[in-house]
Amino acid sequence: MTKISTIPALETLRQRILGDRENIRTTLTLCGGTGCRASKCQDVIDAVKRELDGRGFSETVHVRSTGCHGFCEQGPIAVVEPGNIFYCHLSPDDAGEIIEKTVTSGEVIERLLYTDPVSGEKIRTESEIFFYQAQDRHLLSQNKQVDPCSVEDYIAMGGYSALAKTLSGMDPESVVQEITASGLRGRGGGGFPTGRKWAECRETPGDEKYVICNADEGDPGAYMDRCVLEGNPHLVLEGMMIGAWAVGANQGYVYVRNEYPLAVKHIQVAVEQARALGILGENILGTMFSFDVGISRGGGAFVCGESTALMASLEGRTGEPRPKDVHTVVDGFRHKPTTLNNVETWANVPSIIENGSSWFSSIGSEGSKGTKILALTGQIQNTGLVEVAMGTPIRSVVFDIGGGAANGNAIKAVQTGGPSGGCLPVDKFDLPVDFDSLAAEGSMMGSGGMVVMDEGTCMVDVARYFLSFLQDESCGKCVPCRLGIDRMLEIVTDITEGRGSIEQLDLLEELGETVTETSLCGLGKTAANPVLSTLRFFRDEYEAHIGSQKCPAGVCQTLITYAIDPEKCNSCGVCKLGCPHDAIIGAKKQVHEIDQVLCQKCGICGSECKFDAIQVN
Amino acid sequence: MIQSVNLNIDGAIYSVSKGTSVLEAAIEYGVCIPHLCHIQTISDIGACRLCIVEHVVNGRSKVTTSCTLRVQDGMMIRSNTDKIKRLRRNIAELLVAQAPNSRAVQDIAVRCGVRNVRYPFRNENCVLCGRCVRVCSELFGAKALGFVGRGKDRRVSAPFNALSEFCIRCGTCTELCPMAAIPCGGYMKSGEERLCGECESQMLLANEYPDSCVWCELGEGFQCGRY
Repeated sequence: MTKISTIPALETLRQRILGDRENIRTTLTLCGGTGCRASKCQDVIDAVKRELDGRGFSETVHVRSTGCHGFCEQGPIAVVEPGNIFYCHLSPDDAGEIIEKTVTSGEVIERLLYTDPVSGEKIRTESEIFFYQAQDRHLLSQNKQVDPCSVEDYIAMGGYSALAKTLSGMDPESVVQEITASGLRGRGGGGFPTGRKWAECRETPGDEKYVICNADEGDPGAYMDRCVLEGNPHLVLEGMMIGAWAVGANQGYVYVRNEYPLAVKHIQVAVEQARALGILGENILGTMFSFDVGISRGGGAFVCGESTALMASLEGRTGEPRPKDVHTVVDGFRHKPTTLNNVETWANVPSIIENGSSWFSSIGSEGSKGTKILALTGQIQNTGLVEVAMGTPIRSVVFDIGGGAANGNAIKAVQTGGPSGGCLPVDKFDLPVDFDSLAAEGSMMGSGGMVVMDEGTCMVDVARYFLSFLQDESCGKCVPCRLGIDRMLEIVTDITEGRGSIEQLDLLEELGETVTETSLCGLGKTAANPVLSTLRFFRDEYEAHIGSQKCPAGVCQTLITYAIDPEKCNSCGVCKLGCPHDAIIGAKKQVHEIDQVLCQKCGICGSECKFDAIQVN
Repeated sequence: MIQSVNLNIDGAIYSVSKGTSVLEAAIEYGVCIPHLCHIQTISDIGACRLCIVEHVVNGRSKVTTSCTLRVQDGMMIRSNTDKIKRLRRNIAELLVAQAPNSRAVQDIAVRCGVRNVRYPFRNENCVLCGRCVRVCSELFGAKALGFVGRGKDRRVSAPFNALSEFCIRCGTCTELCPMAAIPCGGYMKSGEERLCGECESQMLLANEYPDSCVWCELGEGFQCGRY
């Protein structure tokens, strides 16, 4: 591919690519994102390509393996254009039939269509599926249009035109003003106004400045940044280039987790393609602007998602945070002014430049503009990535888009913002999803993780889980985080094991405040949120563990016993066979019993029993 | 010419040279801000968090460590509010529960107002203040000690757990170690740890002038910046 040396040449290239594709009659879009890969979509993609090659359709049928579409629950997914026909739960054996019927004659295969869980009807097109209808898919919808490894796809859909617009007519000052006016706030968790960050970095004197993309996403259950970087790496690159132009940087870095192999690969391919096209490098598109991007792979430390720790790691030092009395926009990477933004923040930039700040600020709520991608997981029907306008109530995300509880239990709470976020009970579900409303209730937006919990979840156990995660991931540099989290975990473990006392709840609150107020970095400052929010909204569960030595949800092993309901027991012996500790006694045709001394409370009998006879007390 | 700036600590105006930290300014003028990991002449990392103060900006106060906060003209600092005292006491309580066998830590606990310890004692022999690590690399350029591990596994160790060939056996690391002096009442065996509290009489004067240095003896054990 030849280098593009002028701005109009980019448009010429776009027209040429579109011209080359005029012959294509049918496009088969197959999701190749991480969720679908786990459901073996690669086999489906290979099978489709094999079948097509055998039939000589390569000229008129285009197969596109894309990034995540969001509906991971239904994977592997395919969308056939024209017609917008949506197929789910595909297997390699379906490939032949899709090509024979849908591609050749436009016939729809009923069996592969999505069934609406409410009406039970088969739904033909993607746009009719309620899961997609209820969303405001601005970033995620672009994933479907591009093969992440094809820069042509990205240019064909209008990619890099925001960059061309910036370089041809906007001075850095007006780019910063546009971003400020749009009201874009950092998507990584803090929600700091992006325009203000850029302006501060721009105003700091210095010839050497940097922009960094933070792709070190590590929250349990969250994968939005991963899917954006995997699915549309050029979009992130374009955002970074516009940012670099605005703040005056000539070098950028993408700090991406090594545990995201696909994201690492795709961003590497994208950078090489952009360099080959002259979109990255010296004198981009024939202008005076030069910019290049380096890729750095993180070693998987959660704390390296914190800006100063990330920069330390990028410099080759231990990934530990430092005090931020002087902001990183003044003294950042290599002690130079540095603008660090999250993947999703960078991905929002090109469309703000392209469509204008007033378009962006028309979406969303008062203080939070635009859309937000949420990773919806937990005890819910439709798990996956959803993108909604800021300000959408939690209720609508969980019950409308998410489809409610997965197994018939009532939903009890939702945990927003990853391990540093808080748990909100059902009566708070009318809260809008935006930075300020969630923070006011002791939770946070965080990077957008949303874990839904039902009645079978013990909130004390949830607090214990997140504390143990944070205790593992704390760098250990400062006292409140290292010792404070450790002591909170000690107390909460005591409570789950029936050794707690009521006074400890006050101590937990006091300690939580100390850790929040005095920790060095964002990890410690938010570490107490899971404990404080569960204490605030589910204090009765803590009290039940302490006072009556009971775990209401039947989760905490020390506080529960298993028993067999003699009425329901069919004496089949399945539980007896399954028990790894030989704790179930009773001959065949005789009602079984559990020996409480031998029972290790693993719960296997409960999952084996077909008659629901195992009770948890 | 050394430029000087004026800053306000607890209502009094102090003039200090630009570039110093708030903690250094406080020490210079005899304002008592308890601290542990700070040592004069070497860099501050803000690890112990005992020297926290409230930094008031535009009417909103932010809790931050004074050792890492550089002075600025017109800066407003509150070093001894009820909130700061409570937070400081909680941090000192965490420290003394972790390492009761140190005179320095016991003294700090007394100075910060810890009267009882609500956590089980642990009897560790290091509080990870990092004095030894910093002095070794910054004053001697030896880097014979460093931090190893993360979170609760973090510890101070020589490279590859062997005495480094760069160690010149100067002994400064042990000299500065807050764990080097055992409590006045003697070493506490595992299971016998307690809050020593024998120096509480030192607090009689300190309580009367809570934000001033009264030359109490509680700072001796850890080379308080005043000595």
